[in-house]
Amino acid sequence: MSSGLSSLFFTILFLFTSATFAFSQNKVTGAVTSSADGEPLIGVSVHVKGTSKGTTTNYNGVYSIEVNQNQLLEFSYVGHSTKEVLITGQKTVDVVLQETQETLDELVVIGYGVQKKKLNTGATLQIKGDELAKMNTTSPLQALQGKTPGVSITSTSGQPGSDMKVVIRGLGTIGNSGPLYIIDGIQGDISVLNASDIQSIDILKDAASAAIYGAQAANGVVLVTTKQGSKSRSQVSFDAYTGLQNVARTAQMLNAEEYKTMMDEQALNSGSALYKWNTMNDLADTDWVAQMFKKDAKTQNYSTNISGGSEASVYSLSLNYTTQEGIVGGKDVSNYERYGFRVNTEHNLYKNALKVGQHLNFNYIKNTGISVGNQYNNTLRGAFSTSPLAPVLSNNNIYNSPYNDTSNSLWYKGDGNPYASMMTNTNNKNDAQRLAADIYAELEPIKNLKLKSVLGINYYASEYRSFTPLYQFSIYSYNKQHTTTNQSMGKGHTLTWTNTAGYDFTLIQDHAISLLAGMEAVRYQGTSLSASNWNLLSQFNDFAHAYLDNTTGQAHLDEDGNVVETRSVGGRPETLYRRLSYFGRVGYNFKEKYMFNATLRADGSSKFAAGHRWGYFPSVSAGWVLTNEDFMSGMKGLDFLKLRASWGQVGNQDIDDFQYASPINTSTGYTGSNPAAFYNFGTGGTNIAGAYPSRLSNENVKWETSEQTNIGVDARFLRNRLSVNADYYIKTTKDWLVAAPILATAGAGAPFINGGDVKNNGIELALDWNDNIGGFRYNVGVNGAYNKNVVGNIPTEDGIIHGLTNQLFDNAEEFYRAENGHAIGYFWGYETAGIFQNEKDIADWKAAGKGILQADVKPGDVKYVDQDKSGTINSNDKIDLGNGMPSFTLGMNAGIAYKNFDFSVNANGVMGNKLVQSYRNHANKQANYTTAILQRWTGEGTSDRVPRVTETNVNWQFSDLYLQNGDFLRISNITLGYDFAKLIKWNYLSQFRVYGSVQNAFTFTKYDGMDPEIGYGTSGWVSGIDLGYYPRPRTMLIGVNVKF
Amino acid sequence: MKKTKLNIIALGIFSLTLFSCSDTFLDVEPQTSILDQNFYKTEADAEMALIGCYDGYQRTSSNGNFAFYVASEVLSDNCFGGTGNTDGRGYQAVDRFDISQSPSDNNLFNGTWADYYAGIFRCNTLLKKMPGITTWTSTDEAVIGATKKRIEGETRFLRALMYFDLVRLFEKVPLLTEPTTNNVPQAEPVETYKLIVEDLKYAAANIPANAYPKAQATTNDGRVTKYAAEALLARVYLFYKGYYGKEDIGVTAAEALTGLEDIITNNEFGLVKDFKALWPAASYVASTTANTLDKTGYAGKGNKEIIFSQKFNNTQDYNGMMDGNRWLVMMGMRNTNWSPYGKGWGACTVNPKLVTAFAEGDTRKPASIIDLVGEGIDSKFDKKDQREYTGYTVKKYTPTCLPDGTSDTGGGNDFQISQDQDFVVIRYADVLLMAAELGSANAAGYYNLVHQRAIPTAPTVAAVTKAEIMAERRFEFAFEGIRYWDLLRQGLGTAATAIAQTQNVLSGTAADVVTITSGNITKTRGFMQIPNTQITLSNGVLKQNDGWK
Repeated sequence: MSSGLSSLFFTILFLFTSATFAFSQNKVTGAVTSSADGEPLIGVSVHVKGTSKGTTTNYNGVYSIEVNQNQLLEFSYVGHSTKEVLITGQKTVDVVLQETQETLDELVVIGYGVQKKKLNTGATLQIKGDELAKMNTTSPLQALQGKTPGVSITSTSGQPGSDMKVVIRGLGTIGNSGPLYIIDGIQGDISVLNASDIQSIDILKDAASAAIYGAQAANGVVLVTTKQGSKSRSQVSFDAYTGLQNVARTAQMLNAEEYKTMMDEQALNSGSALYKWNTMNDLADTDWVAQMFKKDAKTQNYSTNISGGSEASVYSLSLNYTTQEGIVGGKDVSNYERYGFRVNTEHNLYKNALKVGQHLNFNYIKNTGISVGNQYNNTLRGAFSTSPLAPVLSNNNIYNSPYNDTSNSLWYKGDGNPYASMMTNTNNKNDAQRLAADIYAELEPIKNLKLKSVLGINYYASEYRSFTPLYQFSIYSYNKQHTTTNQSMGKGHTLTWTNTAGYDFTLIQDHAISLLAGMEAVRYQGTSLSASNWNLLSQFNDFAHAYLDNTTGQAHLDEDGNVVETRSVGGRPETLYRRLSYFGRVGYNFKEKYMFNATLRADGSSKFAAGHRWGYFPSVSAGWVLTNEDFMSGMKGLDFLKLRASWGQVGNQDIDDFQYASPINTSTGYTGSNPAAFYNFGTGGTNIAGAYPSRLSNENVKWETSEQTNIGVDARFLRNRLSVNADYYIKTTKDWLVAAPILATAGAGAPFINGGDVKNNGIELALDWNDNIGGFRYNVGVNGAYNKNVVGNIPTEDGIIHGLTNQLFDNAEEFYRAENGHAIGYFWGYETAGIFQNEKDIADWKAAGKGILQADVKPGDVKYVDQDKSGTINSNDKIDLGNGMPSFTLGMNAGIAYKNFDFSVNANGVMGNKLVQSYRNHANKQANYTTAILQRWTGEGTSDRVPRVTETNVNWQFSDLYLQNGDFLRISNITLGYDFAKLIKWNYLSQFRVYGSVQNAFTFTKYDGMDPEIGYGTSGWVSGIDLGYYPRPRTMLIGVNVKF
Repeated sequence: MKKTKLNIIALGIFSLTLFSCSDTFLDVEPQTSILDQNFYKTEADAEMALIGCYDGYQRTSSNGNFAFYVASEVLSDNCFGGTGNTDGRGYQAVDRFDISQSPSDNNLFNGTWADYYAGIFRCNTLLKKMPGITTWTSTDEAVIGATKKRIEGETRFLRALMYFDLVRLFEKVPLLTEPTTNNVPQAEPVETYKLIVEDLKYAAANIPANAYPKAQATTNDGRVTKYAAEALLARVYLFYKGYYGKEDIGVTAAEALTGLEDIITNNEFGLVKDFKALWPAASYVASTTANTLDKTGYAGKGNKEIIFSQKFNNTQDYNGMMDGNRWLVMMGMRNTNWSPYGKGWGACTVNPKLVTAFAEGDTRKPASIIDLVGEGIDSKFDKKDQREYTGYTVKKYTPTCLPDGTSDTGGGNDFQISQDQDFVVIRYADVLLMAAELGSANAAGYYNLVHQRAIPTAPTVAAVTKAEIMAERRFEFAFEGIRYWDLLRQGLGTAATAIAQTQNVLSGTAADVVTITSGNITKTRGFMQIPNTQITLSNGVLKQNDGWK
């Protein structure tokens, strides 16, 4: 058996397996069983208190250990309460461990400390790392989906390694709306953590909980605690899964026959000549969308955790590897790979008067990706616009590529080859290393007075390399002049020094007081370098060799005598940033019945001019545990009831540096958004550098403030089997930091100013039921949240922050905005009232004095609603068509465990949002359509929604025709597992679980795109824009969890 | 023991207070960008800021917005809107002075408007900062004074030039003479013209005549000279006097003429011998065998006929280099390469009425117009994608390409952004004809110089009328962004009559008709739509022009 096992697992595990054997005179043996079902418990930690001696129970739940007289034996096991037994000569000690529900005595993490859950007076959420690890996702944020009422988590793309958009309690700003992530006390990046390293995640939703983080906490705070060793048990665990990913649903585009019909029909409708298809030989029938996807893309994860300790020291270390291939294009063009290594230790010195410890987390991340941005930077989008008439492969390409080039196509020379373009021209590699580490010392000179100093560093280094080969796929898609190699590197670090003093004491009787004071200083600095050059050596003309050393480009004169530079270089320090903070907290409770908390934080930031630097962020909160009152003691069925109320202010300072001054662009270090000011006097084409103020200044810019009031209730019913949490909040974010549009006469870019506010209010409800009937354990949880978002006081003359233009298709107008009285990022366009069915319909419409947008209107055209009844259709007729942020979010989970089986289902969903789908560039008449166009108007009564096809885009101005309901319910995870540990009956083995799992199993939605979960927006403050969205894969995986 | 504890506590408190008095910890300075409080101190700063002003003017073309040049041609009777057959109808709305062609296009000129004010802001900033510039390379007060005046003169010329484009396009525009974020209402045109005249007079009087001699055009072409200011002043006078019928902006006909005669007598400038030598596409000859273009026939950038041009380079990219002639690609034949003519987006299809108006033997006709049928291009032309096809497109300003279809631009060789044909704002022929129009004693001689270059066989005339001069201007300056304003300055009625017409064209191979009514022209008084975004941003302080509401 054991040789079988070792062949399954890395032998390295065994090298680390630490079992401690002690030799002593008094041997105690016994069996440990569970109170739930009387079954023996395997792997229970049995530990002689105050020593390093310990053992674990075997597969029969039996242990044996040497103990001295009058020593305490401590039994601890996950999910069970710990038990201590005093040894006074017994030879046999059998123990029954009580199974615990999630207890209210558990600690939750709060800012700069921990607190008993039942004493917490804020709106916080805790999710255990084990629960996240079970979801088997690449990013821990994805595993949180559906588990966090009030925290909306949405993919911004299905590309491996893509960011998740996390919004706590509604969008509060049009700036950066992501929460603050604090990992083991230091600001960090959650997305690179392996879920198996996470002990717990605590989310601070209300301002009172977050206010201790002051100026950075306006969008909420996520506290991550990584796994720490335990002094009572040593454990080695190994987790692995491997899976295959496939696209869950593709978009349906027209096939060749349908496409030809549509092209002819739109030519006919536009008065153009019909196409002579019979003169065009060799037209293909390609499904480009299907072509873009790769079948059975792999995903894998391996992680090993080793933890243990003694009275003197505890440790936890881990090593993990995660990889995910992209379902679009596959590994070569879309891939994510991550190695992680972590060591956490803590040591007790001087009889526990001094604790020193450290956390260290190192990650090495490599990824490659296709473009997933707007219509001009979206690799997948080409598959929607390209006609099905071009083949994927042919031998007509001038660069010996097997892919077809449409430059001489009889059909359309501009068609291109989106698949070839992706596979040939996606040559990029990101390679990043991140080190997050801290070292701390905590001194306890007198009991309960704790002085703690933490020095943390967050270091990153990253490198990027790309290559543009020669290619030609159409008359528009080519690079015929020279190849280009680009290399860039950056590194930087944040140093954080935090010092706190905490003192907990009891005044008189039952008046427990907890004090905290602290300061924190943060400094960030970094540099970046980049360079590119033309033309690789002919021997090395590929991506693998695309390094600058292999490039041959030399500055030269062109035939007009102009200097042609082939090299471009850049190097700069990253923005400097410093912050200095002071904070304090007072906590009070009386008999754990009445609780009161107050915090105050002062933050100074280098982002602002002297005189506007300091911000002050107060909060108060209170709680009342009614079930601790005498008059409630007789209440049957109610085990626990707490009312909470809180108020607080938090800030946001997330703006570019030096907004208080006006920077002069001196034609060095320019970018696309901050162009150089060269002018070429003379006839030789030599550029001479000029200078100009690139942005106006605003000396008065200061903190954005978010103020929030929260009322909540936590309750437990029916022997703690039912838990209920509910919250109501009003969150107002004011003095937004916005680069509000200014009059063009101002002449330069707008600085950030303070102004604008948004009010979010909503409710959150979570219900959980846990029960155990004779060994059959099950749980059901449902949570939901509702949020309403209304903007006010935008600091521009017209009260509007305008969205970008040219986003949906070429020359597309603005279609989303933030405006007083509406939700942030609402969709702004025409309402339609169906289709003109016949000439009389048009005449009646005109007779009624309603405007018509189409210059040459015909039956089959769209009726745009003349909202202002002015007789013309123009921007005054555009209205609020809904927005991309859901008003309801929903999560559900259910689990069953019986004997060695376990089964769970997780679901999440949203309601009340709209999605904008724009797959087609209507400015290009040859662009393909989705099959939805088959429902078009072709004559009276044929359609009252989809207009007739024409060669122009007059029926496709931004209107409700682009919108669909975004409601969906996704069964995000189904898992079935079986634990073989009890069958294997091997002493050191406490778990050997094998499971199978389906992710993204089913999605219930009426949306007809590939994936309704669209966090992408063309600006950070708008969501739900589908321009050819990289869908989340459906993954089938198998895995194993082993614990020793 | 107790003492130790106290010590430890003291240490803890010390560590807490370590930073407490250090607000200076928060002071950081940028390391790669200069902040405004540290700039505008030295002569080098001033020269750089001046180049920034030139760049600001360049950006009115290189930012890729609806450029003044293209608008001038679309508005004139030379050209129709054209462009791609499935494109938006913004160009048609401008061509026909009729927003119902494209009702949702209420921001046709927003980018243009912003580009001009960004350029004006740079000039205003430099002018305001001039007194604070105290470090000069010379210690000689006279030299310093002259340098200051030259820099100010060039800056004020550029400001005047940009205001002149704005005031002609929109008539009533906010008049800013120093940088401000205030919501400034539109000024009466006379006020704007007064500033333009004042600026140009300053430039003419203060830029030394020898500051940028033509002999050194290889290094100084594109610089504002005293002569450029004198020429532009005459153009401003003629337009204002012609359109508004007044002489209340601080310049008289005599002053304008004196300036022009100064340019002529100076002898730095002259007409190039062959008219077509002024234009790349007209003078390049394709050599199919070598896949090259013979460019020896081109007089080149900075030739002796150029008084002032907007300079371009082929270094434009999408990462912050903004030096290209971005509107040139609009003028190219739609999707069609026919070396030496390169492809473009097919705007400004040429009105056949202009083609037939050219006199027999006028060398300007083949130098100005691509005759698609006559040159054998018609059968290869992408008519399916072209709107308002007439069989003729513009040759003076059009991209060029090699015989194999490769763009001839150099640099990044991107036909959309690498175009570097300079825009000739004023050339010597204009100086001659304006001088003739203003009643120079040598009027007939000037006219003959221009006319006989174009038609070598034409007889020498002894006297010339204003009508003859205006007719000559139509052919001499066709497609140079001048015709429309020449029409307007002959009176709104004259302009409306000339521009209004009905013309059969082909749009995407289907029959189409361009109808321009004089009523629409008179309704707008010839001025363009104020960008709606700016009107809303001003909360209605800016007022829309008639005909565009």
